Amino acid sequence: MGNDVTVEIKNLCMKYGTKEVLKDINLEVYKGEIIGYIGTNGAGKSTTIKIILGIVEGFTGEIKILGQDISKDKIEYKRKIGYVPEVAELFDSLTAREYLTFIAELYGMSYEKANIKAEKLMHLFGIKKFYDSRINTYSKGMKQKVLIISSLLHDPDILFLDEPLSGLDANSVMIVKEILFLLSKQGKTIFYSSHIMDVVEKISNRIVLLNNGHVVADGSFEQLKETSKGGSLEQIFNQITGFNEFEAIAEEFVSIVKEV
Amino acid sequence: MKDFKILRLLDKLMPLIEKTGVDYWSMRKILQVKLLMDGRRVPTVFSNNKKSNDTDDNKFLKSLGVYILMGLVLIPFVIMKSNYMYQMSIVFSIVMFFITTSLISDFSAVLLDVGYKNIIGTKPVGSRTIGMAKVIHLTIYLFNITISLIGPALLVSLFTQGAIFFLVFLVTIVLLELFIIALTALLYFLILRFFDGEKLKDIINYIQIILTMVISIGYQLVGRVFSIADLKINFIPKWWHYFIAPIWFSAPFQMIKNSEISDIYITFTILAIVIPITAFAFYIKFINHFEDSLQKLNNNHSNTNKVNRSSVDFFAKLLCRDSEERLFYRFASNMMRNVRQFKLKIYPLLGLSIILPFVFIFQILGNSTIHDISSGKMYFLIYFCGMMLPTLIWMIRYSEKYKGAWIYKSLPIRNVAPIFKGTIKAFLTKLFLPIFILESIIFTIIFGTRILPELLIVLLNILIFTMICFMTMKKSLPFSEAFESAQQDNSLFNLLITLVLALLAAIHFGLANLNYGVYILLVLGSIVNLFLWKAAFNISSEKLIRN
Repeated sequence: MGNDVTVEIKNLCMKYGTKEVLKDINLEVYKGEIIGYIGTNGAGKSTTIKIILGIVEGFTGEIKILGQDISKDKIEYKRKIGYVPEVAELFDSLTAREYLTFIAELYGMSYEKANIKAEKLMHLFGIKKFYDSRINTYSKGMKQKVLIISSLLHDPDILFLDEPLSGLDANSVMIVKEILFLLSKQGKTIFYSSHIMDVVEKISNRIVLLNNGHVVADGSFEQLKETSKGGSLEQIFNQITGFNEFEAIAEEFVSIVKEV
Repeated sequence: MKDFKILRLLDKLMPLIEKTGVDYWSMRKILQVKLLMDGRRVPTVFSNNKKSNDTDDNKFLKSLGVYILMGLVLIPFVIMKSNYMYQMSIVFSIVMFFITTSLISDFSAVLLDVGYKNIIGTKPVGSRTIGMAKVIHLTIYLFNITISLIGPALLVSLFTQGAIFFLVFLVTIVLLELFIIALTALLYFLILRFFDGEKLKDIINYIQIILTMVISIGYQLVGRVFSIADLKINFIPKWWHYFIAPIWFSAPFQMIKNSEISDIYITFTILAIVIPITAFAFYIKFINHFEDSLQKLNNNHSNTNKVNRSSVDFFAKLLCRDSEERLFYRFASNMMRNVRQFKLKIYPLLGLSIILPFVFIFQILGNSTIHDISSGKMYFLIYFCGMMLPTLIWMIRYSEKYKGAWIYKSLPIRNVAPIFKGTIKAFLTKLFLPIFILESIIFTIIFGTRILPELLIVLLNILIFTMICFMTMKKSLPFSEAFESAQQDNSLFNLLITLVLALLAAIHFGLANLNYGVYILLVLGSIVNLFLWKAAFNISSEKLIRN
């Protein structure tokens, strides 16, 4: 194993009751990679991320983060991870100042340092004047910005982002995309999970496609394009997941909507 | 961020807490944030007030007044200087009753909260630390309640019984508290270990009912430990006394004040010290496993909930004439099944409603025969069933998914009356009626069919009471507000409004003795019901939304 491997997943399986969600996932991720982690609804993307973050237990197989087996020490490795969850779940009766410093302190930062850093980042996102307002008064995009800041305050080596752009306006999207690009150049690993294929196509330098709990494609966009016939990631996605009837479904849908 | 006095107090215990393998500073942070959030109101979907920082005040603390009021009952028992085993057992069983019921109904949601995990669990914080933060959070609230409850008695005891009594009282109360928390948590832990999925949630609710029933029966059992003959109260130890916790805690007082030192009192005292500490230590030892197994509550994967559609439809058609009302009847029936926190709060109350009428009958049974009872008027105790209604009606506003309430606003609903009417009917048929019917059957067996017309009057009166509760409460659309972990602000109101039920029962009792009284009551009750069930729902939706 080279020093550049940051995330190593071996024979990962997960069952919810009798339902198998992940079937033998194997993955080796390197420094500086932006992984576009994609798949259909229920393919197991979020489950993988939740397992790595220790929210979901009961998996079999081995996961190593920066060389540490996560089932041996369940706490320390998390210091190196930043996480933006799919659902904007945060303690929203706190103000951004309270929430962000709280999270950063849990990562082991000092209050003063976290406070200064958070305020600066809020300023760059254009929401500094809401720093002392309660998060439950925020718009969806503002909440998302707070989540992004909270995942980066402690300068993690690995980022897990689950639909990180949801709710952001076009300008903010450009900022965040550029941030991700710069971070990867510094050698950080980014797991980018999303359903919006054009964004994934543009920002990731490696794409991992999950279907029915299996990794069905793994490679750069160019490599995927060669092995399948599609021109865009969306088309490749349709093709690999075996989906080609969208027109028929849409037509039937609209015809049912008409019946009242 | 605001620093809390209680946390500074906690800092003194830091070395002790760290010994259990907890990351103290992370735990303190979590507690600080939790306490801060408790003091803040979660805005409802409808409140347009965007003021970002209204003052932090914890409504919970304001609601403690009720406990101080109830605690006055304890004062005579700490003034008496006769048999300390007797008087202190009464004190401890009252305290234990209140604390346990409050713990299982109001704080089960805190204990079983999994929300911590998704935000904090992804950070470098261990389950042990998260679990500890939770217990301490809970303990802070329980201590607040306990101190309010025993505060007056504690103060009085300092002057009437002296400093040593006061100190022993304080220590035993702390031990009792640890005992209750550990016992409840371990019980939940046991259930979490052995059950999974949807079944687990059901079992938790049943346990709540059973626990409430057990504690209510145990509460009145304490009185039976003593034989009261010629105004002299005697305590004759029996083997089963070793299982009644309040008796353990009373033993030290008997030894100190009456200088009766015997093996039995020493054994009780040892039990009072050793068992709570061992139980609590045991709980702390397994706290990380407890936290980890809580995750099972989130597993919704294996359940395809079999729902008896036809029975819901049947009742909807039977009870609701208006189609919109029927719609909300079905909506509420469906929602109710899935609101976990709501169940956690309401099920202990159901247990209490089932058991209370019988507890009183049993109590009387000691002094008279079943024959005396069956020809008497004891069936009026069935009114205790109605005690759950104020809370029930109050709770319809809450839901974990309160944010979904935007649908009310976006739907073309002109009149909010069917929403409330359908929901209340659904709640009554699902939660109140089964218990009422069960008790009616048992009561008819005991008292004979002669009470059937009277039971009908009871039902009519309870329905009147329901409407009075609804009318006097501040209204909020069903399922549209968030639960707050320490929300307690309606307990005084509940206490007062229950007097209305007592009044209705008294009217019933008075008129039932007259000739044709039963028929007068039936007619009168029906008319008042018809009127109230119309008038109560005359709510302007504008006003509702502005609240």
